[in-house]
Amino acid sequence: MTVSRTSHKPRALTRRSLAAACLSACVALTLAACGTTEDPVTSSGPKSTPKQSSDEKITLVDARGKEVVLDGPAERVVALEWSEVEDLVTLGVMPVGVADVKGYSTWVKSAPLDDSVQDVGTRQEPSVDAVVSLQPDLVIMEGGRGLPIEQLEKTAPVLVIKGSDSTRNIEQMKHNFTLIAQAVGKEDTAKQILSEFDAKLADAKEQIAAAGLAGAGFAMADGWMEGSQVSIRMFAKGSLVSDLAEAIGLVNAWPEKGDAEWGLGVTDVEGLIRLGDVHFFYSASEDDVFAGKEGLANNAIWKSLPFVKAGQVHKLEDGTWTFGGPRSCMHIVDQFVRTLTT
Amino acid sequence: MTDGRLLANDHVKQASGQGQRRRHPARGRRFAFHTWSSAGARSSSTAGVVGLAGATGALLLVLALVHITQGTSGIGAGDLLALATGTPNAEAWNVLVASRLPRLSAGLIVGIALGVAGAAFQSLVRNTLASPDTLGVNAGAYLAITLAAALGLSLPVLPSGALAFLGGLAAAGFVMVLAAGGASGPTRLILAGSATALALGSFTTLLLLLFEEETKGLYAWGSGSLVQADLSASVQMAPILLLGTVAMVALGHRLDLLALGDDKASVLGLRVGRTRIVVTMLAVLLTAAAVTVAGPVGFVGLCAPAIVRLLAPVVPGLMRHRVLLPMSGLAGAIIVLGADVGLRALLGNQSGVDVPTGVVTSMVGAVALVALARRHRDSGPTRQPPAARTRTARGTLWFWLVLGLALAGVVGAAIAGALLGDTLLLTGDLANWLAGVAGPRVLFVLDERLPRVAAALLAGTALAVAGVTVQAVCRNPLAEPGILGITAGAGVGAVTLLTLAPMAGVWLMSSAAGAGALVAFVLVYGLSWRAGLSSDRLVLIGIGVSAGFAALTTLIIVASDPWNTAKALTWLSGSTYGRSFEQLMPLVIALVVLAPLAGVVRRELDLLALDDDVPRVLGVRLERTRLLALVGSAVLTATAVSAIGVVGFVGLVAPHAARALVGGRHARVLPVAAALGALLVSLADTIGRWVIAPAQIPAGLLTALIGTPYFVWLLWRSRMTT
Repeated sequence: MTVSRTSHKPRALTRRSLAAACLSACVALTLAACGTTEDPVTSSGPKSTPKQSSDEKITLVDARGKEVVLDGPAERVVALEWSEVEDLVTLGVMPVGVADVKGYSTWVKSAPLDDSVQDVGTRQEPSVDAVVSLQPDLVIMEGGRGLPIEQLEKTAPVLVIKGSDSTRNIEQMKHNFTLIAQAVGKEDTAKQILSEFDAKLADAKEQIAAAGLAGAGFAMADGWMEGSQVSIRMFAKGSLVSDLAEAIGLVNAWPEKGDAEWGLGVTDVEGLIRLGDVHFFYSASEDDVFAGKEGLANNAIWKSLPFVKAGQVHKLEDGTWTFGGPRSCMHIVDQFVRTLTT
Repeated sequence: MTDGRLLANDHVKQASGQGQRRRHPARGRRFAFHTWSSAGARSSSTAGVVGLAGATGALLLVLALVHITQGTSGIGAGDLLALATGTPNAEAWNVLVASRLPRLSAGLIVGIALGVAGAAFQSLVRNTLASPDTLGVNAGAYLAITLAAALGLSLPVLPSGALAFLGGLAAAGFVMVLAAGGASGPTRLILAGSATALALGSFTTLLLLLFEEETKGLYAWGSGSLVQADLSASVQMAPILLLGTVAMVALGHRLDLLALGDDKASVLGLRVGRTRIVVTMLAVLLTAAAVTVAGPVGFVGLCAPAIVRLLAPVVPGLMRHRVLLPMSGLAGAIIVLGADVGLRALLGNQSGVDVPTGVVTSMVGAVALVALARRHRDSGPTRQPPAARTRTARGTLWFWLVLGLALAGVVGAAIAGALLGDTLLLTGDLANWLAGVAGPRVLFVLDERLPRVAAALLAGTALAVAGVTVQAVCRNPLAEPGILGITAGAGVGAVTLLTLAPMAGVWLMSSAAGAGALVAFVLVYGLSWRAGLSSDRLVLIGIGVSAGFAALTTLIIVASDPWNTAKALTWLSGSTYGRSFEQLMPLVIALVVLAPLAGVVRRELDLLALDDDVPRVLGVRLERTRLLALVGSAVLTATAVSAIGVVGFVGLVAPHAARALVGGRHARVLPVAAALGALLVSLADTIGRWVIAPAQIPAGLLTALIGTPYFVWLLWRSRMTT
């Protein structure tokens, strides 16, 4: 008898909810009907307005090996990964759209954005709508992210960048910077900045050598905490920061290999023992795992590590992006030299 | 009280003696505690138990000793041995104290806590498949901790543990109420728990996605890890572990009584309600301690008591709770340390930080769950699996009305999907687009959006049709591609291919997903087949295989591409992001061919859903039809997975709702379910693209968040009517 009682209740409920759903759908549709957000294109008019500058077309070959043709130096650029954003800002071209503006402002302080820059969503899944609505004349992104490249290409040329290559990271960084400079017509600026970069490396190498630190051991890490768990991420040989340090005469003491793309690996506090006597650098723009109260500060291994005892643990300034372009790289090198020679 | 207790104990002994021959009446029907010590064999049982405890302790000691010799530094057995013999070695000492022991103690705490909690949960609900995982307690505790972190609270260990306790308690309470305390049978409880865990897990992922810093790798994605900063968490949790375990053991005799059934237990003087509440609190407390130390380490609480129970026939007296509970704790510790030792012995010490321990225990646990489920006895032909009651056939008019409304809903969802998103469009824009006169901006927006809308609609349809078919063939309204592990299998296939050949095209990817789906399906079907297909067994084995494959997917991504969150998103939660029409072709073809085919065989499906005899009598070639239908479902699922990644619960929810609306005839269920499936995934996708624009929530997460409450409601409703 319970069955017969309850068998009517859901029916009424279902009917009512169906009717309600239907009604609300109808209302919504009626309300939304008839409007447009953009005027229709008349058949006589041009479908879009290409720039009349075909004489200065720019042809680039991107990370896909694809020829990307621009009608002229790009002015309205959307960049979907921070390294490329930084390159643009460094070159003096403020992007119109950036993925995760807030995160960029926290993590990449070498090349700040101004208020005009629009947020286009997360770096994992940026909003194509937001990109399109900015009417960019170039979209710069990194490959291998599942981004809808072909769809974006209907809006604007897409330049795909290989963000990192652990076999040649400094070269890759320079290549990316130059490529982006060509796209925005700032090759001279790029040359100037890259020679500044090279000079900085050479100068830093001399200062390191002068301080008697040539061949000195070096390590770079970042990390995060989750409850009582600590994860330490090591910048192995081949990572950008490691390449910079080795370029100025230091030697990365981390013995493990990193991943093929970024040159990163993980370890725990015990693994740090294998570093020996090094200059230990770390970045922590949010939680400080290494010196913070909750982190490793009271750990017996950490306290006994030779570089900790010797006071050779150095935190990079907040907002030092360890996967960035020439500006971030120079910022890192500056910090290396300043910390080690004073 | 003392008298009553003595009396009660005597009764236990008597009842125990009978227990071997007679199965427990009433509530204990499907309850697999089969071995009881008889009163006469008391002394021999004590000897056996002591012997076993000694052997277990020795094994644990050996594991612990091996465990502390493993680590990422060069400190090995030799150094530690030298240290033990008195050679001073500061480095070895520090490593021992600040790294090896914290990891060891975390492993011990997690293992013991989850082992004891698992055994307690199982006794509490009289169900060998209960555990902190299958009851959603792990997921609830972890969600609470993640929520606090997301809100920017950096909590010390103890408050964090308290929060985990509250989260776990809420989840446990919810699941127990849903499943009527387990009295309604194991499948229902596990389903309610798994569904709740899935929803909680989706919510956790969502929080991680929205609030955590992106530079963290997958390591931080909640698989449970023993890597510790120092001993402090263990030191703070150890008293709680001790307290919980001792209290639980002290309550052991009450649990013995409870095992006799509520009625008998209360006749024997047990306050059943109060005991349940206290034991639940203690078990949740232990689980929370484990989650606080190491995150959600999977399936330990399921395996540990199971292993102890396997030994019960050999060692009399093992099933008394004062023995069972501590032994389960020891077994749990052995599982966790064994997984950790084994992993590092096999793949090298670096794997101890590369691979989360929870992934390994989940894989071990999945195997155990499958093995347990294989022993699961069928509950007999009269039992109706928990489901939305099938509506008796109603007028054709009603059917057309429902179908019409559902289709209108799909059209509405499609239109809403096209209009809503980061950029809001109006229907006039759509009209312009249809007329071919849309402006460039609308054109671009729709170019990106329409394939996603289509992907959601098509995948929803495919998963729903696959769900209807599998449910009919397995004669179980709970069987569906997600629960049966077919979706997860397809995910493993696709991820493996992506890892080996990142540039693989959509056809290859669909084939790999298809292969994975078929492997999973053959595995589940083959393992469940024991002189016939028991629907409960099928579902339970499916849940095990599904958990195993999900852990395998995590393992593959962590090992190959740990910093790629986009990949993790698609293959662990499902997303329509970045789809193009070309990528949907395999799915379209599968639907065009297979969906009408399902329609053609609708009568056979009706018959298959009845029993084995009727179709045979009527000349249906049972096995052939069954196999074809299942292979077809696997193909539909695989193509859907290759289009939008791993999305669960659609194949369950849509057919259920359809049956509730239009009755059980497949001619009616199929179209309505297809429409509802499309509606569900499309809504999830649209909401995900819209609500926090320009950021987005993957469709799979929202499908779980929308689908699970409906499913829970179904369970709740059927609870009231059974």
